[in-house]
Amino acid sequence: MFGKKFFVNRYRLLGWDFRDVTPRQAIRVNRMNVDGFDVVGRLRDLGVELEKVPFLENGYWVVRSDFSVGATVEYLLGYYSIQEAAAQIPATLFTDLKGKIVLDACAAPGGKTVQLADLMENTGAIVALDVNKRRLEALTNQLERCRVKNTVVYQLDARQASRLGLRFDRILLDVPCSGNFATDRDWFRHRTLNDVKRNAKLQRQILAEAAKVLRSNGEIVYATCSLEPEENELNIDWAVKNLGLETVDIDCYGDEAPTDVFGLKLDESVSRCRRIWPGETQGFFVCKLRKRR
Amino acid sequence: MTERDVVEGFARLFGAELFLNKGFVVRNGNSYFLLSQKLRSLTEKRGDWLYAGTYLGKIGRNGVFHPSPSLLLLIAGKAKNRITVDDKAAWLFICGRDIFKEGILKIEGSGRKGAYTLVFNRNGECLGYGRIARNLEKLKGGLAVKNLFDIGDFLRRERSAAKEI
Repeated sequence: MFGKKFFVNRYRLLGWDFRDVTPRQAIRVNRMNVDGFDVVGRLRDLGVELEKVPFLENGYWVVRSDFSVGATVEYLLGYYSIQEAAAQIPATLFTDLKGKIVLDACAAPGGKTVQLADLMENTGAIVALDVNKRRLEALTNQLERCRVKNTVVYQLDARQASRLGLRFDRILLDVPCSGNFATDRDWFRHRTLNDVKRNAKLQRQILAEAAKVLRSNGEIVYATCSLEPEENELNIDWAVKNLGLETVDIDCYGDEAPTDVFGLKLDESVSRCRRIWPGETQGFFVCKLRKRR
Repeated sequence: MTERDVVEGFARLFGAELFLNKGFVVRNGNSYFLLSQKLRSLTEKRGDWLYAGTYLGKIGRNGVFHPSPSLLLLIAGKAKNRITVDDKAAWLFICGRDIFKEGILKIEGSGRKGAYTLVFNRNGECLGYGRIARNLEKLKGGLAVKNLFDIGDFLRRERSAAKEI
């Protein structure tokens, strides 16, 4: 069970007709570092053509630039980050982040960690975990460049987060996933349904660990850049039925998630999740969860 | 010498007096970090962290302290030794090049050979630091400040990481 035809047929059954897309490059302004001046204006003065992303407060599409937007003084000073538009959504779904203790369980390479710090205005604390040492270097470079002050980084598997002996107010689970064809040109050639199922299993283990370390009034935001329901709706259905979690309404870009997946009836509350099909953005899935009251 | 002494001693090279809370400057391996109260209590519970709070710099193999851009930013507001450079010199500086007299717009504090100075662009943003190569007052042109560290380091790190992968 693999190949473009197989996966494209699955997408059609989920309500989306395949079309080849190239996601647009986007940046996110780090508000914590640009207090009092207009970094977008500065980039425009340099000749970078930007367009506001309608569904993001601090996101801009890069329409045209004669040079890499990752090689400006403004970038090096941490005034903005290069972050794909759909990937900017998950961190914005939390309520009331300031002063909170936040777990970023699969943090590298750190785009969302920096965004969390920005939304928290460098207050509270972020505990950022990742297993891969090389990816952790990318994470710490981002933290340093963007002048993040409220984060502590551990090399630790998200499935072992309880070893920290901490309880968290907010948990971001940007879990390892199969990815999607919009950001990986060879996706259909090297992915199989077995890969998807293997990732889904790992994601459930991470979800279970997160539920353990979540405070009673805490929130989890679960995100993948996979289009496969095993990693998305089916995992949330499982979490709702097995981990004492419930989904929460979110108001963001994307379609209501299906609750009938290839004939399998899921918990109706799974429809609160959002599925973003590739277009101007890459493919994405987001869901907000809390402990059942 | 305490962790705080190392960092404050570095700031004094630029004529800046930093007053950091002793218990909040911590050393982890060769790296120095400034922690908030909250991070300090979190890291006390579990000590094997890689990075925490504001990264201040590290001691290199030669035993010399290498500052981070964040530390230079902390020092920037208090430093007496500063030079401001034009756009071309600023760009060359963050590409790792030295500064020539022709690119300097303003000199503040010591311009003596051997003095350390922070380097700013026209917008007042600190781009790094260097050591004055020749007495700036009498210098008509040519090499003025040797580049010791600049924020282009982030790009060089990203590129070398990409090559490794």
